[in-house]
Amino acid sequence: MQNLEIPATARTPAVLFDFGQHQLKIKGESYPEDVTEFYGPVFSALDTYLANLGEGQCRFDFELIYLNSSSAKAIMMLMDKLDLAASKGATVDVYWHYDKEDDTMQELGEEFGEDLENAKFHLEKMAG
Amino acid sequence: MLAGQLMDMRAMLHKHGVIFAYSGYVTEPVLSGVGEALKQKLTIDDADTKTLRSVFAVFVEQMQNIIRYSAEKAQSSPPSDQPSSALMEIRYGILTIGKEGDDYVVCAGNLVVRTDVDRLNSKLSKIRDLSRDELKALYKEQLRAEPEQGSKGAGLGFMEIARRASKPLEFDFTNIDRDHAFFALKATI
Repeated sequence: MQNLEIPATARTPAVLFDFGQHQLKIKGESYPEDVTEFYGPVFSALDTYLANLGEGQCRFDFELIYLNSSSAKAIMMLMDKLDLAASKGATVDVYWHYDKEDDTMQELGEEFGEDLENAKFHLEKMAG
Repeated sequence: MLAGQLMDMRAMLHKHGVIFAYSGYVTEPVLSGVGEALKQKLTIDDADTKTLRSVFAVFVEQMQNIIRYSAEKAQSSPPSDQPSSALMEIRYGILTIGKEGDDYVVCAGNLVVRTDVDRLNSKLSKIRDLSRDELKALYKEQLRAEPEQGSKGAGLGFMEIARRASKPLEFDFTNIDRDHAFFALKATI
């Protein structure tokens, strides 16, 4: 399927979904004016991809510097989709990269990670 | 005279340690613009990364609370041929960012309807009195919960502010008229 590439803006992260390579990434800051408008197309593309993943492998990297509370809900929904795919037999690795100087983002990553039952969660420090 | 008046206003803000002040109708582009200037000022001040991110995070939540929930609003009259979603609506509030000693403070105020005061008061009191671990647990619970009626976000804003703050939240209400109260919220980082 067609890759999804959305360049970053001041208020929205870059989305780099390379479906052929099974490497998906969200990178930057996330405090969109309208969370649904931004994440809607991201969710649809991911849903289509995951529905066809079967027992395949994929890697998802979150490299978020900052996200507002409305975005946190969207990220949780992304995590749920990945976990569901893993529960159906896919091998899913989720990497949460956090700035070593911001423990709030580390904590948030840990909280998301705790809820993953089937996908494998990795917490990674970003070089400052 | 003119300079004197404005200078007095400026001096009053200055006396309270205010670095940024915005009073008026708030829109998303206002948030973007003031937020950008705030980031630059914090960078110039050489604030550490965690402080910079926390002040900014609190600012975003406070601004979005005004944009979404202030009870004082200006509306364009509904165009007859447009769906109601096309209605233009902007909301009024005041937000200041300043310093108290080494701490940054972000204060926001706006009108609320008086029937919302009890709900807001108990919600904020609960959040203020929680330990860090309890707050973390409640945040996680709310993240998975359906937002309460009337919420336009994830219902996490006050908790996000409390988590980013280094001291307990301060808040207050004062009655304005039969229907409205002024609500003020202060976060120290």
